[in-house]
Amino acid sequence: MARVYQVPRHAFPWLISGALLASLPHMLRAELWLSVVVPLLLLWRIMIQRGRFAMPGKLVRGMLLLGLAGATLYSHGTLLGPDAGVTLLVAAFALKMLEMFRLRDAYVVIILAFFVLATAFLFSTGPLITIYIGLVLVLMVAALIGINHPESGVSPWRHFRLSLTMLGQAIPLMLVFFMLVPRLPPLWSLKVEQQQGKTGMSDSMAPGEISRLSRQNDLAFRVEFEGDVPPPSLRYWRGLTYGWFDGRRWSQAVPPALDRQEYVRFANGVSPQWYLQLLADRGDAAWKYRVVMERSGRQWLYAMSVPFSDKADVGLARDLRLVRRTDLEATYDYRVTSYLMPVAVEGLKDWERQFYVALPSGSSPRAAAMAQQWRDESVSDAAYANRLLRWLNEEQFYYTLEPPLLGQHTVDDFLFRTRRGFCEHYASSFAFLLRAAGIPARIVAGYQGGQLNPLGNHLQVRQYDAHVWVEAWLPEQGWVEFDPTAAVAPARIELGLEQALAGFDEQTDTGLAAVLRSNPLLTRLSHLIDYIEFGWAKWVLGYNQQNQLEFLSRWLGKVTPERMVMTLAAVGGSLMTVMLIWMLWRARRPGLKWWQREYRAMLRLMRKRGLNPPAHLPPAQVIAAAAQRYPRAAAALQDWQHCFEAAVYRPPAADPELLRRQLVVLRRKVARMSRL
Amino acid sequence: MTTAIGRAITAVSGVVLGKEEQIRLAVACLLARGHLLIEDLPGMGKTTLAHALARVFSLEYRRVQFTSDMLPADILGVSIFDPDSREFQLRPGPVFTQLLLADEINRATPKTQGALLEAMEERQVTLDGVSRPLPEPFYVIATQNPVTQAGTFPLPESQLDRFLMRISLGYPSAETEIALLSGSDRRQQALTMKPQLSTAELMQMMLLVEKIHASADLIDYVQRLLGYSRDGGLFVAGLSPRAGLGLLRAARAWALLAGRDYVTPEDVQVVLGPVTSHRLQGSAGGTTAASIQQLLEAVPVVRRS
Repeated sequence: MARVYQVPRHAFPWLISGALLASLPHMLRAELWLSVVVPLLLLWRIMIQRGRFAMPGKLVRGMLLLGLAGATLYSHGTLLGPDAGVTLLVAAFALKMLEMFRLRDAYVVIILAFFVLATAFLFSTGPLITIYIGLVLVLMVAALIGINHPESGVSPWRHFRLSLTMLGQAIPLMLVFFMLVPRLPPLWSLKVEQQQGKTGMSDSMAPGEISRLSRQNDLAFRVEFEGDVPPPSLRYWRGLTYGWFDGRRWSQAVPPALDRQEYVRFANGVSPQWYLQLLADRGDAAWKYRVVMERSGRQWLYAMSVPFSDKADVGLARDLRLVRRTDLEATYDYRVTSYLMPVAVEGLKDWERQFYVALPSGSSPRAAAMAQQWRDESVSDAAYANRLLRWLNEEQFYYTLEPPLLGQHTVDDFLFRTRRGFCEHYASSFAFLLRAAGIPARIVAGYQGGQLNPLGNHLQVRQYDAHVWVEAWLPEQGWVEFDPTAAVAPARIELGLEQALAGFDEQTDTGLAAVLRSNPLLTRLSHLIDYIEFGWAKWVLGYNQQNQLEFLSRWLGKVTPERMVMTLAAVGGSLMTVMLIWMLWRARRPGLKWWQREYRAMLRLMRKRGLNPPAHLPPAQVIAAAAQRYPRAAAALQDWQHCFEAAVYRPPAADPELLRRQLVVLRRKVARMSRL
Repeated sequence: MTTAIGRAITAVSGVVLGKEEQIRLAVACLLARGHLLIEDLPGMGKTTLAHALARVFSLEYRRVQFTSDMLPADILGVSIFDPDSREFQLRPGPVFTQLLLADEINRATPKTQGALLEAMEERQVTLDGVSRPLPEPFYVIATQNPVTQAGTFPLPESQLDRFLMRISLGYPSAETEIALLSGSDRRQQALTMKPQLSTAELMQMMLLVEKIHASADLIDYVQRLLGYSRDGGLFVAGLSPRAGLGLLRAARAWALLAGRDYVTPEDVQVVLGPVTSHRLQGSAGGTTAASIQQLLEAVPVVRRS
């Protein structure tokens, strides 16, 4: 007779709850219909299990599958790619529960659950989600134990406990693998779309865009300094420069006819002339720090000028910014050494000068005329720039997050009409005025400031720290940074956006958020959370190939594949040897039965309490003596003795597992009651 | 059933004063289908005990006083030629009874002793090539005098092994003795006792003894006791497997007396002395009882490693 491989009933609680919890991160993140459909399908399965409904037929299942695929197609416009794929996977996973007839279907469900759990890491890699996934993993392993446990009428909690033990035992091995298994760069990269609005810096800038960014408080990156933290007024994190202006929008552009080799210098590439010059000019390092950047989906890295990084895949661009070879699809950390030094004092190349003074013809004529007149009146380029800053400071300019819209001649409109703007307005106008006077200038985009977390003594730079400023080339001085926003709202630089806006009667947060932020306890809490997240980013997420090499080279000297394999074998081998010795040691003392161990534990407890019953006394007499000594524990002791006798000497009748648990509970009770 | 046994024990205690422990042991020995050796001075109430036991369990009772000129036939019986029927007819000896009190067994010659001990073991008597089963139950209480050894034939170890237990009654305590002296004749009392159990009921109890549960841990404990008696260096020779079987059977009977259907280590410890003392000989001087106490203390009740 063919055996019917049924799914044991006791495995169901873990199967269903595990499936629900594995899908939960996706349900919270993805489309609304998913978070309705998945619980409904699981509820359906529970009803089937309880005998209310029958298993759906092939037709119903097929139609459901088509419906879910259609819904995915409708939401994402495709069935391919990570986002749509995960949505479809989660939906199909819930659907799979409806065709779980046999044991082998349950295996498929569990393996699918592991896969669904793993996909959660595509979207979030924080410490909390990791702990959550670990917990759901315990449930799924409990389900796996359950379906392999034919005995019926067993409490599912036993499987849960076993699962917890097994996974707990696996942790040391996991750590060894995490530390030592060679890290490979991903063979392919899954581009997961960032959530709507979570954009960060862009490769171009029009009026109003930075101010929009400033309303977000997502983390951009964290910085950990070796030594002192620079004061806020020096914390200019440059990420990219905009050299091309079309009258409204500033864009990142590389002059045509310039090859990339000449423009960006990577460690293993050729070093162009300008780079060698920088190396020759640099003096003592001003700041040394480590930046841990959140995933941005871009290749720009942020650092203070003039940055040098020793990472192989980080290059220095001619406009003094760091770029990575590939886009950041995961948390990335890099060390930077910044030097305070003049750049390009000898002069600019012809093409460079032309590129950085180019303006669209006929744009903002009034401002252009003013620029030429003032330049003629000034003795030098520097004097002209200072006059502009002074003018911005003295005239009635407002710093605001809600600037009015600008007309066709954006600079004219802003400088002479609205006079209400955010940093991009000031930077854009200032660069325009410089260029109009024939001074090479470009806009630098990045972040300014950052909040110091006293716990880790690191800076957190968030999207609302986004900032743009201007760099101009002056004779004898080279590239010099100007911040026109500082001329209008000095508080922005010294104290941050919030304080700066407060000076202009504006606030970033309203109502509750502002109250919450001013609560010192919550501030401390948020610092703590940030500290933990930073540690996670540094030590876990940031433990990539390069960091692994650095870490291992502390012990191994030169890290070669052979040495890594040998280390792995040595550490793994010694771990297994320890386990083997332990197992042999246990086997050497052939089978103390659980009740014998329990009795030993009881005797140990009595010795701790100062009783030393001789081994030859029968348990009943030992317990009687203890009961006399500790009358408060007498009842518990007698119950224990009763259970012990039932377990050891009586004809086997009751559930031994039940007795075992009762004995443990009673022994703990005795321990409590006999405490003086 | 156990209450009937309890009543019987109480009844016997009313006659043999202050010896409840020994009475219980004697009853346990009976229930375990063993034979009892009482080693005591004369006049300690051995006969009264045997008598009383026979009465309360409604057993047929005989008493044989062993002497040095006794022959096996005096115990087992003889075939006599009947001139009328011109055939030999068997005259069964005193052994054909349910409770036999073999007084001063060590006074008889080894030959006579051997005949009785063989009957005890085999529970049958072979006369003139015909085997005749002894009645059921068959319970021998033998006594011997430990002090006066002149003109006796001490039982060899192999023969002693046939007795399940050896007990001694000992002198009564002062109060008991006063009660004893002020009461009427004990022997007369014993004769007038009412039976508490029928033979059939007693047989049923004996069957029950075999069903008493001895758990694996308990058997393990018994085995460790046996093993230590052999390897512990306390005794000249260790306990035999038969002694082990006897110990377990006696412990089962003791558990039944306590009203339990399973054996606990206490049961084993209580019967250990009576079951083993006559089979062991201490190697280091001192009394055998002290060596047995050492054995008891050396073996942990619950395995620790």
